[in-house]
Amino acid sequence: MTSAHVLSVAMLLADARLPSGGHAHSASLEPALLGGMPVAAVPAWLVGRATTASLVEAGTAVVTARVLAMADDSGLAGVVGAWAARTPAPALRDAARLLGRGYLRLARALWPEMPAVRAVVAHAAAHGPLPRAVVLGAVAAATGLPPADTVRLTVYDDAQTAAAALLKLEPLDPVAPARWVLDACAAAEPHVPRVAACITPEEIPASGSPQTEGWAQAHALLSQRLFRA
Amino acid sequence: MPESLVSASATAPTTVPGAPSEPATDARPGSSAGPLATSSADAARPTSRALRLGVAGPVGVGKSSLIATICRALGAELRLGVITNDIYTDEDARFLRSAGVLEPERIRAVETGACPHTAIRDDVTANLLAAEDLERDFAPLDLVIIESGGDNLTATFSPALVDAQIFVLDVAGGGDVARKGGPGIGRADLLVVNKTDLAPYVGVDVARMVADASAARENRAVVALSRTDDASVAELRSWVLDVLGSFRSGAHVAQDPGPMAPHFHADEDGGYVHSHDEPGAHDHDHAH
Repeated sequence: MTSAHVLSVAMLLADARLPSGGHAHSASLEPALLGGMPVAAVPAWLVGRATTASLVEAGTAVVTARVLAMADDSGLAGVVGAWAARTPAPALRDAARLLGRGYLRLARALWPEMPAVRAVVAHAAAHGPLPRAVVLGAVAAATGLPPADTVRLTVYDDAQTAAAALLKLEPLDPVAPARWVLDACAAAEPHVPRVAACITPEEIPASGSPQTEGWAQAHALLSQRLFRA
Repeated sequence: MPESLVSASATAPTTVPGAPSEPATDARPGSSAGPLATSSADAARPTSRALRLGVAGPVGVGKSSLIATICRALGAELRLGVITNDIYTDEDARFLRSAGVLEPERIRAVETGACPHTAIRDDVTANLLAAEDLERDFAPLDLVIIESGGDNLTATFSPALVDAQIFVLDVAGGGDVARKGGPGIGRADLLVVNKTDLAPYVGVDVARMVADASAARENRAVVALSRTDDASVAELRSWVLDVLGSFRSGAHVAQDPGPMAPHFHADEDGGYVHSHDEPGAHDHDHAH
């Protein structure tokens, strides 16, 4: 049996209907709105994320895929450490690990024999849950998803997750956020080659946002919220 | 930032940071794939995994109160855990914690992204992970009760998440609701008609409502419940214990109430009742 085309894999992963628990997450949008960010700022905020926080995740996935392609399982710890150092809020790391567990359930059901997937399953069993970006990197290694497309997938998924959450939090014509998602992806495009070229954990962009981290921490303490993070 | 500085988040205070939670090999059936996958692979094999019991039904029918009643009735003999799926808040989890029927740490809230039915039906990932965490942190558990966020009559649990499910109505919602049917009313493992003590005040004939429900369910189990009526609580308690016994012996098979209630198709021969539970039931081409 031939494998699904790598574009089909990317579409599967980008689909909001992917059964990995993503529907309970807002890609930091709910924390931002509850933290006082006006709805009018959402388009600019999406562009901001696509060129900063999303690239931390994207770079983590790209480097993970490279590390696993070299059959160097010991390198995973370095990637996780680099990601954690760039994601200081425990609330965001917890949410990313929850999403990573959802991704891992999926990955080990879909590609159980692939060495990259086996490596992350073994690592999680020994050291605890891995963040989504790392599991995505393993899927990229297992399926041959090119680094540039791994970056685009990460940026798109982040923007689309926030856009879908926005329609639940602040209803508006759904065509508008669709435009903003494409604008965010376009804004990230000049950064794609740089992030796709990351090889070592040190090269993962350190472009997280302290404001987003702060909002995430405050959000985790609220008793009234629709989304996990 | 070193990982050692990371404390467990406020939302999962009892999770041990860094604790292995995705065992590569795990002898417990269903720990990774859920009840659905195991019910086919391990049919009729005794299991020691906790029974996962779903509680669904519209907003305000008393789902949390029913869970508190189960915890009170069985807390002394079974090791219990509860997962709530509130829509806007962690109100249900806090209600149950404050009810004092269970250690607060054994009650976890899961966010559903404003989609309570998605979280119990088409993407059960968040609830499965929460159930696995609870079962790992308090191993061994006998029973994990998962409360859906109050939804409408169409919301039922996937057998991929729960082994059995209770659908809850209450007399105050109207005596005619049981007749309206739906997958939960028609085909959940148990239908509870709750708050029967309120019947005189809302003009509902409980016996009639239960008879309507039994008819809609083709005589599947119905319990008319009031938490102040000990006999009804005993009936509920023995139902739970029966299902648990059947589950442990491997005889219990998780049922899907389905997205559709059994319904009638008129045709030239008079019509037939169509239940969607036979294999290939959706292969035919008639319009519903």
